[in-house]
Amino acid sequence: VLSRVADSLYWTARYIERAEDTSRLLHVNFHAMLDADSSDHGDSWRDLLLAVGREQLFREHGGEVTAPAVTEFLLWHPANPDSVAACVSRARANARGVREQLSSEMWEHLNRLHLYVSQRRGRGVIARPHDFLAQVRDGSQAFQGVTKATLPRGEAYEFLQLGAHLERADSAARILSVKQASLFEEAPEPVAAARMVHVLKCVGAMEAYRKHENDRLAALRVVRYLLLDRQAPRSVLFCLERCLAAIRSISGTSERPERAIGRIVAELSFADVGFDVAALLQRVLRAVDETAAEIASAYFTTRVILPGPYAQQQQQQQ
Amino acid sequence: VRLSQANLLGEPYEPGAFFDEMYEGTGTPRTHYRALAEQLAGLSAEEFEERRHAVGVSFLNQGIGFTVYGEDESLERIFPFDLIPRVIPRAEWDLLERGLVQRVRALNLFLADIYHRQRILADGRIPPGLVFGARQFRREMIGIDPPGGVYAHIAGVDLIRDADGRYLVLEDNLRVPSGASYMLENRAAMKRSFAQLFHEHGVLGIDHYPQELLAALRSVAPPSATAPTIVLLTPGVHNSAYFEHSFLARHMGIELVDGGDLLCHDDFVYMRTTQGLERVDVIYRRVDDEFLDPLAFKKDSLLGTPGLLNAYRAGNVTLANALGTGVADDKAVYKYVPEMIRYYLGEEPVLDNVPTYLAADERERGYILDHLDELVVKTVDGSGGYGMLIGPASTAAERERFRGQIQSDPRSFVAQPTISLSRMPIYVDEVRPAHIDLRPFVLSGSVTTVVPGGLTRAALRAGSLVVNSSQGGGSKDTWVLRS
Repeated sequence: VLSRVADSLYWTARYIERAEDTSRLLHVNFHAMLDADSSDHGDSWRDLLLAVGREQLFREHGGEVTAPAVTEFLLWHPANPDSVAACVSRARANARGVREQLSSEMWEHLNRLHLYVSQRRGRGVIARPHDFLAQVRDGSQAFQGVTKATLPRGEAYEFLQLGAHLERADSAARILSVKQASLFEEAPEPVAAARMVHVLKCVGAMEAYRKHENDRLAALRVVRYLLLDRQAPRSVLFCLERCLAAIRSISGTSERPERAIGRIVAELSFADVGFDVAALLQRVLRAVDETAAEIASAYFTTRVILPGPYAQQQQQQQ
Repeated sequence: VRLSQANLLGEPYEPGAFFDEMYEGTGTPRTHYRALAEQLAGLSAEEFEERRHAVGVSFLNQGIGFTVYGEDESLERIFPFDLIPRVIPRAEWDLLERGLVQRVRALNLFLADIYHRQRILADGRIPPGLVFGARQFRREMIGIDPPGGVYAHIAGVDLIRDADGRYLVLEDNLRVPSGASYMLENRAAMKRSFAQLFHEHGVLGIDHYPQELLAALRSVAPPSATAPTIVLLTPGVHNSAYFEHSFLARHMGIELVDGGDLLCHDDFVYMRTTQGLERVDVIYRRVDDEFLDPLAFKKDSLLGTPGLLNAYRAGNVTLANALGTGVADDKAVYKYVPEMIRYYLGEEPVLDNVPTYLAADERERGYILDHLDELVVKTVDGSGGYGMLIGPASTAAERERFRGQIQSDPRSFVAQPTISLSRMPIYVDEVRPAHIDLRPFVLSGSVTTVVPGGLTRAALRAGSLVVNSSQGGGSKDTWVLRS
């Protein structure tokens, strides 16, 4: 495929996945708040900002860490470039530029989600965001499902897979690195269990974990599962292996992206039982960034779109 | 059949001085509209509105729109669509098809001639000054032999009907005509909303248009390309017809590229892919001549690809349409198309022109200036309904402005009598008559073909004569009947 097309497909997938991941974090947090024994309201909203990497930006623009303020910031605040609304809008803008590469079903799902998100703004949503967040999750999952069902397995498909899985791995690793310390803290049984359930839900792996291990919850097992399980579709290793497979079948002219991701996949595959969780997570996050940079330089040429005259010249018609 | 008042079609209107497509007299449908009128009469306004809404929602969901895309996404508008189809009987279509093929063949022969020996000028059939003075005449094209001798691979010929119902050619659009995607989407929308009507009418299919277009493009590939790579070159997402570019690329299964995706090296054109450079043989370009190659034309064009003209001149890539086709859709040269048909084909034109006065001609200029309040004045290379004076609807100030412009630059203007475009019912809150035209798409490769139908455009603003989508026009599905 064209380099520009690859670029847009990869970012379409990353943005739509990012919108879904942020929605899931909000959703899980809203539900957790309803439980009587959760006493750390402010902390969990701050964790949310840390998990999406926008804590500092929020402080610059937002001020107090309250449920409505964080929710608005993460849903559509103009100062937040990674808000759900901005991600959906950018996913759609990227897809629009390569629409002929998508199946019409894929485009329609994305376009519908975009229309839904751009038409619903208001305090009602912030107070009761359940439907809104569920729609974003459904929209993203429908898009990804329809992609699997309709798009031929070529390079275009692989770039979408690469974007989605790299984003998902990044998101899971960020959540773990924000939350892992609290999992290992001494706490009464119900609190500790609630924390583990919370982390599993934030990554979207609660049900999968229950099927995998119906035993008592244990912090190290939860962490190992979210990091290293090969069957869990949202675990870090699973996602990175998918990225590696996608890169191998794209096999461009450079080996650098494959090398960047291959190293971290190897490390995770052969991780020791008693590994240092925090340090490993830092290496995962660094590898994800490095891979993203290698992908960009190997497959996408740098393109500068100039506003003004460029847009004007495009407006010729007959 | 006389229709009652208690149905969707409402109270019959007076055809007045206009030719009405649907009714012969007040409320009496023509034979080929009878079945449709009966069906529509059986619908309530609510039922009709419901289907109209469904089409609107589906266009919105599919992002079928035509306006520009800037920072503000609300600028994207859906293409206004009317659910009452235009019906053309087979015999009428056969005549149109013959006329269109004849006309486009003559236009292609004309282009080949004026970019080579210029026989038609030497024989005194067209004033040379008119051709060489046309802004769209491209000297760069002289001596170039496009494969198959085809210049205008895609032509969008605008047809109108006068007060007697006679079809006339209003314009030949030979540069980058738009609208085929709307023709196809309109049909898809009608099939979804009124499947029953199709069973009863026997409507000829048009869905093969993208394949016909692809076949035409493949047939004009450079002879050296055995398995030609065909791409569609778009100005980009900000272009008002971007939807169409993307639509056609998807339905033909070819790459949609912009100028930056292409690269010229040693007179060959390549596209930049993740696997390296890939050679391109045919470019269906939807970018105007002047923007194609900053080395040859506008130096500040960001839409084109440097070196494209040299690759084209070397015969290593085909451009569709060819460069310089605009000289043949110049509105002054238009006057001589019937002459071209006689000269090159030795036939009488099947379809007539609208009478046209050239401001460049001193006598005709006098007539134009004396009759500004009756005539339609157009710039010779305008398109999209911009830069027109519609005499009967104009103010004295507008007429004076045009008078000044005509006197200072006569070659740039022509005038035509104001034609009372035919009308037919549209539904906007209620059913009322609106003026319409028809743009069929004529494809030329190794053969010249027309898919049975076209884009019927309707002036949605009450009384308006301008049907261009950029000027508030909408469109209708166009049905050519099997018998």
